[in-house]
Amino acid sequence: MNGAIEAPTIEYGQLMPMLLVFGAAVVGVLIEALAPRYLRKAIHVPVTLLSLAGAFALIILQAVRDGVPEQASAMGAIAVDGPALFIWGVILVLAFISMLLINDDDQFVAQAAAVPGSPEEEDAVAQGGAHTEVYPLALFAIGGMLLFSSANDLLIMFVALEVMSLPLYLLCGLARRRRLLSQEASVKYFLLGAFSSGFFLYGMALVYGFAGTVDLGGISSALASVGGQDSLLYIGVALLGVGLFFKIGAAPFQAWKPDVYQGAPTPITALMASGTLVAAFGAVLRVFWVALGNLDWDWRPVMWAVAILTMVVGAILAITQTDIKRMLAYSSIAHAGFLLIGVIATGDAEQNSGSLSGILFYLLTYGITTVGAFAVVTMVRDAGGEAGHLSRWAGLGKRSPLLAGIFAFFLLAFAGIPLTSGFFGKYAVFAPAVSGGALGLVVVGVISSAVAAFFYVRVIVLMFFSEPAADGPTVALPSVGTAAVVTIAAAATVVLGVFPQPVLDLADQAASALFIR
Amino acid sequence: MNEAVPSYLSPTGQEIVFLLLGAVAVGSALLVVTTKQLVHAALWLVVSFGALAGCYLVLTAEFVAWVQVLIYVGAVVALLLFGIMLTRAPIGRSPGLDSGNRVVAAIVAVATAAVLVTVVIDGFRTAYADLTPGRGTAGELGSSIFRNWVLPFEALSVLLLAALVGAIVLSRTDIRGR
Repeated sequence: MNGAIEAPTIEYGQLMPMLLVFGAAVVGVLIEALAPRYLRKAIHVPVTLLSLAGAFALIILQAVRDGVPEQASAMGAIAVDGPALFIWGVILVLAFISMLLINDDDQFVAQAAAVPGSPEEEDAVAQGGAHTEVYPLALFAIGGMLLFSSANDLLIMFVALEVMSLPLYLLCGLARRRRLLSQEASVKYFLLGAFSSGFFLYGMALVYGFAGTVDLGGISSALASVGGQDSLLYIGVALLGVGLFFKIGAAPFQAWKPDVYQGAPTPITALMASGTLVAAFGAVLRVFWVALGNLDWDWRPVMWAVAILTMVVGAILAITQTDIKRMLAYSSIAHAGFLLIGVIATGDAEQNSGSLSGILFYLLTYGITTVGAFAVVTMVRDAGGEAGHLSRWAGLGKRSPLLAGIFAFFLLAFAGIPLTSGFFGKYAVFAPAVSGGALGLVVVGVISSAVAAFFYVRVIVLMFFSEPAADGPTVALPSVGTAAVVTIAAAATVVLGVFPQPVLDLADQAASALFIR
Repeated sequence: MNEAVPSYLSPTGQEIVFLLLGAVAVGSALLVVTTKQLVHAALWLVVSFGALAGCYLVLTAEFVAWVQVLIYVGAVVALLLFGIMLTRAPIGRSPGLDSGNRVVAAIVAVATAAVLVTVVIDGFRTAYADLTPGRGTAGELGSSIFRNWVLPFEALSVLLLAALVGAIVLSRTDIRGR
């Protein structure tokens, strides 16, 4: 061992979007350390937004100028392929509009260490304390999402899972109002998340025991060459699946979602409901298609059961909810089930790229609509913060027709009514699934969409056809950021619902070459 | 991996030491969860981790063994002890530590262990890995980490930075407004 280490090859150009986000996060930490307190927010906001926009521009540059790379980058750790570039773009768009929401004041606690309800807390609020650390923490989480969705081996996938989750655990506990609920959500998310990471890690160890490598392509080729250790492989895959299903909130691992979505500050909920879901589906696709694609006869029945359970649980439990954020959380569970249909609908290369393109398009439409819906939730306020209880939303359509109309539109998009983006999203996932032989699943999907439509319509009826309460909630005058988020989300939902072809083509193009190995 | 399997009846010294260390690790791990004194539990944990480090050493993974000693025996257990010391937790015998769920917990733990042990035994039934010394040296690992695994390694440093910032956010009490 006397030779120097040969330098690794890192394709900095291809990794640049991710490096830019991480770099901005580190700069954010430096701002916390060096800038005077009153200036921090004024510096954080442009740095954060510019880095996200810059990363998005770099992705476009990469796709237009150099095309899609055909080999994994950074010593095989990261695969910057077509789907990865599309998912990166989606994550960055969603993160950008979520950051506009985070920019809105009055959502985050003045001093996290102060006991809720104590004099210290009142002091901190009176002195205008604020945790501007949320900007770098959110950027770390976003960087983790980029890493997670493009990981090409299980090791970097696990590290990315932690980079993505840890800042989110923290951010969940920083709500300004209902702090005990928020802290409870944070602890629950942390403990359950730690468990699921443990499952993922153990599964990774067992799969390594089987294949002798953690590289996704290597596992795929080991499936053909290694014999006699199938029990290791099956249990390993099952444990990996538990870890990944937890992250997308598929039943029976969905229990954390309503609690966490309800307790977390709403801008963070928006970031989690959109960005994390997109990133986690990127990872699910990589593990189950790239590494375990040749094992599909074995995982498909289990995945069928999980998808059906997820759709049914999400749609039916949503009916019983009385809190708007919990309802949106169950809706997110149901949507994870719809997306799983796309994951199951594999076949030959053409079939796969059809399914993949559907999933990519669905992730974009669902993510944007979700951020918009949560942005509306931040604006309907009671004396004690957001008016979470559904009964408080009664008669909102008479009090504030525009806002209620936009929210109703988002709900219709969730339900998948034609002329909204949700319709084409569902169509794009269901159509390849029918041709891929998953007709039964699609039937279940359509039925649970109908059940889900029932409670979306119930909220719309509540908003427009019941009398407003005398002491009903007020609609806060939106800040520029919130107004921009609602406008962008509504516009995207309309445009993708009326004229989806350019984005569908883009998704087709991204999916055409499938994942690199 | 699947080479000729040597007879089990004449174990080498290495194998005997490995088995003994394994027995120590399992036994002291049992004591960690059965002892009624919190500090004793932490100290038994030292023994368990130490025995595990010994196992690594026998398996020629010397660097991992020393990392195990430094991180687990050194840092984690020290953290536990400091936690007990600084939170004014009861140090002596504390009967209140017994959870009402312990029977169920024991069943779950035994069942989990049974599944995992079965899987590993079934997976590696007759596999015999020949140990070549020198495969687990710091040099080998270093060149692997800084070449093949450089990106995960760097991503971990980002994770640590995020955790550090988060810990400060959650615990600092001297944050003042403007």
